[in-house]
Amino acid sequence: MCQVSGVIKMALRELSSLERFLGLKKPNKYSSQGGKKVPVLQNNNGPALIGLVTIASHLVREAKRPELLGDSAERRAVVQQWLEHRVTRLDNCSKEEVKVILKDLNQYLEDKVYLAGNVFTLADILMYYGIHHIVVELAVQEKERYLNITRWFDHIQHYPGVRHHLPPVVVLRNRVYPSGHY
Amino acid sequence: AAPPGLEGAVERSPTSPDYLPNLHGTLGRDGNSDSNRSGEKKSSWDKLFQDFAKDRYGICPMVQSQQKLDRPLVRVQDLTPEKAEQQIWVRARIHTSRAKGKQCFLVLRHQQFTVQALLAVGDRASKQMVKFAANLTKESIIDVEAVVKKVEQKIESCSQQDVELHVERIFVISQSEARLPLQLEDAVRPEGEGDEVRKVDLIIINLHRNLNTTTSQAIFRLQSGICQLFRDTLINKGFVEIQTPKIISAASEGGANVFTVSYFKTSAYLAQSPQLYKQMCICADFDKVFCVGPVFRAEDSNTHRHLTEFVGLDIEMAFNYHYHEVMDSITDTMVQIFKGLCDRFQTEIQTVNKQYPSEPFKFLEPTLRLEYKEAVAMLKAAGVEMGDEEDLSTPNEKLLGRLVKEKYDTDFYVLDKYPLAVRPFYTMPDPNNPKYSNSYDMFMRGEEILSGAQRIHDAQLLTERAMHHSIDLEKIKAYIDSFRYGAPPHAGGGIGLERVTMLYLGLHNVRQTSMFPRDPKRLTP
Repeated sequence: MCQVSGVIKMALRELSSLERFLGLKKPNKYSSQGGKKVPVLQNNNGPALIGLVTIASHLVREAKRPELLGDSAERRAVVQQWLEHRVTRLDNCSKEEVKVILKDLNQYLEDKVYLAGNVFTLADILMYYGIHHIVVELAVQEKERYLNITRWFDHIQHYPGVRHHLPPVVVLRNRVYPSGHY
Repeated sequence: AAPPGLEGAVERSPTSPDYLPNLHGTLGRDGNSDSNRSGEKKSSWDKLFQDFAKDRYGICPMVQSQQKLDRPLVRVQDLTPEKAEQQIWVRARIHTSRAKGKQCFLVLRHQQFTVQALLAVGDRASKQMVKFAANLTKESIIDVEAVVKKVEQKIESCSQQDVELHVERIFVISQSEARLPLQLEDAVRPEGEGDEVRKVDLIIINLHRNLNTTTSQAIFRLQSGICQLFRDTLINKGFVEIQTPKIISAASEGGANVFTVSYFKTSAYLAQSPQLYKQMCICADFDKVFCVGPVFRAEDSNTHRHLTEFVGLDIEMAFNYHYHEVMDSITDTMVQIFKGLCDRFQTEIQTVNKQYPSEPFKFLEPTLRLEYKEAVAMLKAAGVEMGDEEDLSTPNEKLLGRLVKEKYDTDFYVLDKYPLAVRPFYTMPDPNNPKYSNSYDMFMRGEEILSGAQRIHDAQLLTERAMHHSIDLEKIKAYIDSFRYGAPPHAGGGIGLERVTMLYLGLHNVRQTSMFPRDPKRLTP
């Protein structure tokens, strides 16, 4: 129960950090619903918006930054895919799943700066918020094992205006473990 | 009908009347112990197998020092191309044997050296002789007479790669039982939850003892080298070797991790270190002493680096004005050991490396010295959260080792000025900051091998510190009193021999470098 309330708190803090990143002047009020405490945004001029990704996408449009959702059809699809990955796989995953997720993400990021290739998108922000609690727990050796994740993560946490509510994670620039010495 | 196996031959006792005359070729002709005593049967066997080479092989009678043979035995390691075409005798074990039609290949092993031997049907060897050789059990000790031949292609699987032996005679000196006591069953036997480390240990120990004796040989030869280099270096520096009792009346560092033994009507303890005795020697003006001997720790920790009995290399030395005089002397001793190993034990290092590859051991001259504060800063910069006066945890210790290696490219360094709170009561406080102390640890590949410090040589301060640690003053009265009649300032340290061997070679379990390891769950062999 405690964990669930932690997650909902995180989701709300995430949304308010996102608002600040987007430069939205007036902070929104959020509530939550259901057993899983899904965030809800009661919009003044329409029906309520439900769910982290839906609200986040709405905020992006409201801030007139549609490029953050992808500037081409292909990129839009990739961004949607990672947003979905975030809420379906990353959130509330078990310890065994974490290893698989990290391994796959590390491989994916091997030849990319951002999740959608070479442009920064909403996917990077929400994946960074979602994976922060995992990366912060990693030992130096593990951070080195998931080298590409660490590089991407360090880049995003230093991206202007993204980090806000989260503590910085220390990342070593030099390899201290000889390659293959795991 | 195929000749029967070896079993009949080995069971006979040397007092058996037919034993002595029947030296050669017994194998393959004796059916069982009954037929040994039957002369008729044997002669019928002889008629069936007219073996022209029957005097060239067989089982030797037990060596009971009956004769002084003038027959030099060449060591396997000396079988080099210079000996080509010479006829020589070799005593070795059968490492492996492989029969192929009319030929039999043996790999002979002595200590960590191996050589290939070949036996082929021809002028010198009969079919029966080849069969005899092929049926010999692994690990049997044999004497062979052979001609050394150069080979065109290097024999990669053997240590003697440039020659092979063409066997002309082969006699068994001691026969091994067919089944080796590998006890892999032990390794796979479930021993309860969370005992994975234990199982790995068992496999390591058994494989190590029985299969990979070349590695084992190399490890323990190198270990002997460490002891010798330690002694030689210190004696050159003017040290005196001392012997201290291991049965003591009081625990030197608090009572938690000592073994209690019953001692007539009272109880005694097994020494955790020769600490008190080497200090008493300093008070008796011995100035520089060292001691090599067993040390006992009753810690119930089943880790890759803890033993309950290990060999301690202990140093204690009086200094003039600063304990760094002693620290430098110890680091220099370690450096001399590393250099000596590198110069004199390359063969051993390479033999071990073949089975357990590791990067060569690196060190700096003079040895890198870091202060505890600096180490904590390095760890904090790497994202570790720890207090300034907190002791180093094992993972942090290892991480620090990696950070130091990355920054300074050394596997050996000293960490100086530990927080006073984490050291024993007899540690001298730092004059500039009472929260720290004049104490140091030395690390190899990120693991602690030595713990040392300047000791308190003032009876009053010693009493204060003992009381601060809530130690019963009555029990250490003799120790404190020894400082009342003039005690020179002194410092020292103790090294674990097994750990040094393990870490120098880059091995991962201290049991591999202890010939008969003792841990909370192992008392035998």
